[in-house]
Amino acid sequence: MKRIWAICSFEIKKLFIKPQSYLLMFGMPLLFTLLFGGIMGDSSTGKVTLAFIDQDHSMMSKSLYDTLQNNDLFLLKEMSHNEAATQIKDKKLIGLLEVSKGFENKFASEGQPMVTFKYSPDFTSNAMIDQIVSNAIAKMKIQSTASTVWSNYSKESWEKMYPVLDKEISTSTPSIQKVSITKNMKKQEMGNVSARSAGFSIMFVMIVMMSVTGVLLEARKTGVWYRLLSTPTSRLEVMGGYFLSFFLIGWIQFGVLMAASTLLFGVHWGNLLGVFILVTSLLLCVVGLGLFISGFVKTTEQQGAFGSVIITATCMLGGVYWPLDIVPSFMQKIAEFIPQTWAMRGFTELISRGGSVQDIVAPVSVLLAFSVVFLAIGITRVKYE
Amino acid sequence: MLEVSKVRKSFGKTEVVKGVTFSVERGEAFGLLGPNGAGKSTTISMICGLLPFNEGDITVDGYSVKNNPMEIKKRIGVVPQDIALYPTMSAMDNLLFWGKMYGLSRKNALNRAYEVLDIVGLRDRAKDKIETFSGGMKRRINIGAALMHRPQILIMDEPTVGIDPQSRNHILETVKQLNKEGMTIIYTSHYMEEVEFLCERIGIIDHGEVIAVGTKEDLINRLSGGTVIKMEIGHYNKSLVEELNTLPFVEKIVTKDDERELEIFVNSSHQALGELVSTAVKNNVEVSTIQVQEPNLETLFLQLTGRSLRD
Ligand SMILES: Nc1ncnc2c1ncn2[C@@H]1O[C@H](COP(=O)(O)OP(=O)(O)OP(=O)(O)O)[C@@H](O)[C@H]1O
Ligand SMILES: [Mg+2]
Repeated sequence: MKRIWAICSFEIKKLFIKPQSYLLMFGMPLLFTLLFGGIMGDSSTGKVTLAFIDQDHSMMSKSLYDTLQNNDLFLLKEMSHNEAATQIKDKKLIGLLEVSKGFENKFASEGQPMVTFKYSPDFTSNAMIDQIVSNAIAKMKIQSTASTVWSNYSKESWEKMYPVLDKEISTSTPSIQKVSITKNMKKQEMGNVSARSAGFSIMFVMIVMMSVTGVLLEARKTGVWYRLLSTPTSRLEVMGGYFLSFFLIGWIQFGVLMAASTLLFGVHWGNLLGVFILVTSLLLCVVGLGLFISGFVKTTEQQGAFGSVIITATCMLGGVYWPLDIVPSFMQKIAEFIPQTWAMRGFTELISRGGSVQDIVAPVSVLLAFSVVFLAIGITRVKYE
Repeated sequence: MLEVSKVRKSFGKTEVVKGVTFSVERGEAFGLLGPNGAGKSTTISMICGLLPFNEGDITVDGYSVKNNPMEIKKRIGVVPQDIALYPTMSAMDNLLFWGKMYGLSRKNALNRAYEVLDIVGLRDRAKDKIETFSGGMKRRINIGAALMHRPQILIMDEPTVGIDPQSRNHILETVKQLNKEGMTIIYTSHYMEEVEFLCERIGIIDHGEVIAVGTKEDLINRLSGGTVIKMEIGHYNKSLVEELNTLPFVEKIVTKDDERELEIFVNSSHQALGELVSTAVKNNVEVSTIQVQEPNLETLFLQLTGRSLRD
């Protein structure tokens, strides 16, 4: 035990004696958080504005307006057709949504309620808005059908039931993630900064872990490993010392980043036990990845090079730099196989939704599964002679 | 103290240590002399329990490496052939770390580190990082790290490779002093002079076999009465070498350095000098120098293997 601690504390000292470690461990992730968190802005300032033209003036068109207002992609402004046309011309709006007369009646009859969406050609997120509007209408359709069924039994007008259902559904079911994230206004404001903060902490912990796990390669190259094993220190103690140092270094880094982001950007990390469990499983996974890579390369330089490429690429795929909802669906599918995606999900659960340990069981399990695979391959590949 | 008996080791299909046997007494300085690739480092790794071997046994103080490697590791200090130190850390930090790895408490390690720095003569550089040291100084700390736990046996694997004569002398004097104070030394090298200077007994190893063991005198007496005559000639001439080879007292001729330097093994040097020179003249080859060499281990190695220790 004494020797394990001696190895561990020596490795930590060796890292923190180098000034550049501080830059890599703390300076860069905070800077990146500031840049990316700031550029993408928090959700209210980053929204585009659309005109909402209501020709129907019915309960249903009102309901649609309310439902659509509840998203973090765009703001709706009610105005007349002419007003909207001039504002679009002046580039004050990026598009308009028009609800034509007879919208509500379409719900009662078998018809398909339609909304016209017009947008300026340079607007790129139109597909997403399309999607959001279709979702909203689909949801309203279900509610109105439910209300109609109810009115057949109760002999009361369906218009009575609809608002009740609407309220019930939007408060009780977090069926669409966006709705539930944005429910709490205070937390919603911090969405992007928190996400980038978690993201860049993950990324830079990975980068640091990659170089830290490289010490095993280095030790073998310099002969330090040889000398360690020539002392009365068992292989288990040597590995124990190194592993302990990996985890402590990872924890020190994450802890400092958490504290700094709380102070600087006001990020709330949520349930601390949850964060501890999530970060520990992430560290296990990354240490595993580090050993996995060092099992296939010859030098620490190669480890660094491969490590950076792999980390950068997987961070892109895993939603570390930007939210995953803005990437195409095939990339969202790939993301399921990236550890960072799961780490980010865990953090979303903890940070934005005030989740507790039970809520991160899924991401933690997936991370642990990744760890088992990486560690198993890494440890068998690394030669300890 | 140390017994190595009939140890064999193969890497894959190639056997690199072929039944090595030797023993070292307490307080003795034993030299293992052999050319590159002879199997010196491999033998040392096996003694230290770092490399499993196929056959034979190694014991230290009655403990076998196979059953009690930890007991052996406590008793020995190894100076690896490479500089096994942390370059970004200070000399002091390195020594403290290795002291702790040998099981010293922090306080003992600290006291001992200062003693060790005195032994290797680098106390004034204690706080400097290893990467700022010269090659010779690194080598000295490399030795110091193995002295932290006052080992009974100090095993050194070519501790003077690639350093200046001044550092080399310092190291040799240090080791000699440690031996005088009672430390058992095992020293490997391909420098005959180092081994001759330090060691009472010497084993000569080549191609994984110990081809001769004994004191320096024993070994030299084994030279079959022969002497080596070094002759430098103006230009190489094949027929000269052929003719020299037919002379009755010539046993072997080894050529080196653009083949202008001949090492001629003769069984008696009495008439040899004259005949060698006259043969050269007869062949129109100019002789620039000719000298009779004191018989030494190099000569023995040449005689035993037909090669020189270093190329
Ligand atoms: N890990 C290994 N795998 C395969 N062959 C090896 C290994 N280590 C050493 N050898 C071979 O074993 C032989 C002896 O090597 P060793 O390092 O013991 O020589 P040495 O006497 O220490 O030489 P030097 O003076 O160059 O240090 C060499 O032919 C070498 O190629
Ligand atoms: Mg060697």
